[in-house]
Amino acid sequence: MALLRTETLTKAFGALTAVNGVTLEVQAGTLHSIIGPNGAGKTTLFNLLTGQFPPTSGRIVFDGRDITGTPAHRIAHLGLARSFQRTNVFPALSLLDNAWIAAFARGRSWRGLVWRRSDGYAEVAERARAALADVGLADKADQPAREISHGEQRQLELAIALAAAPRVLLLDEPAAGLSPDEMQKMVALVRGLKGRYTIVLIEHKMDIIMGVSDRVSVMHFGSLIAEGTPAEIQRNPEVRRAYLGGMVAE
Amino acid sequence: MSRAWLAVLAAVVVLPLTVRHAIATEIWIFAIFGLGLNLLLGYTGLLSFGQSTFFGSAAYVAGYLLKQYAINVFVALAIGVVVGAVSAALVGYLCVQRSGLYFIMLTFALNQMFYFIAYQWTTVTGGEDGMPGIGRPALLGVDFRNPLAYYVFVAALFLLSLWIMKRIVESPLGKILQAIRENDVRAEAVGYDVPSFKLLAFIIGGGFSGLAGVLYAMLFGIVPLEAIGFVFSGNVVFATLIGGSGSLYGPIIGSFVFIWLSESVSVVWERWPLLLGVAFVIVVLFFRGGCVEAWARFWSWRERRRALEGIAQ
Repeated sequence: MALLRTETLTKAFGALTAVNGVTLEVQAGTLHSIIGPNGAGKTTLFNLLTGQFPPTSGRIVFDGRDITGTPAHRIAHLGLARSFQRTNVFPALSLLDNAWIAAFARGRSWRGLVWRRSDGYAEVAERARAALADVGLADKADQPAREISHGEQRQLELAIALAAAPRVLLLDEPAAGLSPDEMQKMVALVRGLKGRYTIVLIEHKMDIIMGVSDRVSVMHFGSLIAEGTPAEIQRNPEVRRAYLGGMVAE
Repeated sequence: MSRAWLAVLAAVVVLPLTVRHAIATEIWIFAIFGLGLNLLLGYTGLLSFGQSTFFGSAAYVAGYLLKQYAINVFVALAIGVVVGAVSAALVGYLCVQRSGLYFIMLTFALNQMFYFIAYQWTTVTGGEDGMPGIGRPALLGVDFRNPLAYYVFVAALFLLSLWIMKRIVESPLGKILQAIRENDVRAEAVGYDVPSFKLLAFIIGGGFSGLAGVLYAMLFGIVPLEAIGFVFSGNVVFATLIGGSGSLYGPIIGSFVFIWLSESVSVVWERWPLLLGVAFVIVVLFFRGGCVEAWARFWSWRERRRALEGIAQ
């Protein structure tokens, strides 16, 4: 069954249709990649899925429930967590607090919100630490986020999404701006998360996608032009023409 | 008990021995006002330029009831807290819809609106002349007309306020507000309704402002029109920045510096705000964290020098 589904989802900014009639199904437990050149509308699609702004038309269905137009902070509570393409952390807070904030948001109850000491929530702290450990940042838990390297901030970006105990993890170019070494590490990380979460991954680097994906959808000028297994996508002539173009040696 | 608390307690004891009781009392009242502002400014990253709206509204309402009906002091304080919180809820609801410069201008504009209501409604507020004749009814046999008795009462309320604010900033709410300050888009994305949290910070800050407003009215026996004016709103921002908005204790130090300068130096030198201006420029240029940061830097500099001397020997 599709855990996350969109029906002819469209978003227009004035004359520009950034996302155009996208119908997509993400099966539970799979890693579904969305590829396409810069400006294809991938991030806008994520912004729609997570309620950053409402679609112009179309529907989003999560776990059988219509979530079209639900604001971002509510969508997070349903279990859709995202990472951002541009590093988007809380710079002055410690790594642990970065993850803690996300873990607390999804906590079972907000009792004691204004009065209980924040270090008294053992379960939340545990989840935050586990998320940091998952991305390999456990030993830097007490450092402020602004003091760690760019590569580590990308890992933290992922940890914040994980700390929310998501049902669907939306990863927006987790390897953006990483050195080849760091990229290897990130790919291994994402591979490790596969199977534990339903993952939707945006990427424009083909080599990253092909190794880890179960399904691949190709976006071009706001529309989906193909969908299939990585092997099918690589063979698809339309994809080669429209997207891969000169990148693939004939 | 931490060193900070010991320092605050020591200051509470020493202050009335060194300055006039009225000044000492005003310092703690202004510190309560600053604590409320700093939840917005330091923790949530919201520069509210209209805190006197809540301070003044509470002072007028509670002052009026004290004057007309000589109500119980605790009832007056409770009413002040509620008026402060409710007026902050109204103002905050409108302001949190916007951010940045528009937010600041809205807090300022609404402050001006309240100011002109107070200015025009002379039958109640006395307009430009202020609202005089506010008494300090005795409580449990203690006569608050005695300046020292009133000082002790205010100091105790200040300590209570500080303790409550400490609990708030160490609660999940404190952490969430800091997360909103650091990155409101991400805070929203991980599941926090940012405008609602900002509003909550406003309401709590308004409650503290309201408490300070009533204590102020009782201290001077009058609510001057300035108590709801924008200069007053600016003063608490200056004081908090000079003290250090990054710390829970910053507004307390700021209040001390500000009130001491304004009450002591102003007697000797009419142009004392010049000193304040200089202090403010120094803070903005060199010590963004105010006195708290200056102090921390001084200590780390001393530590390093000691360490170097140790190596030299």
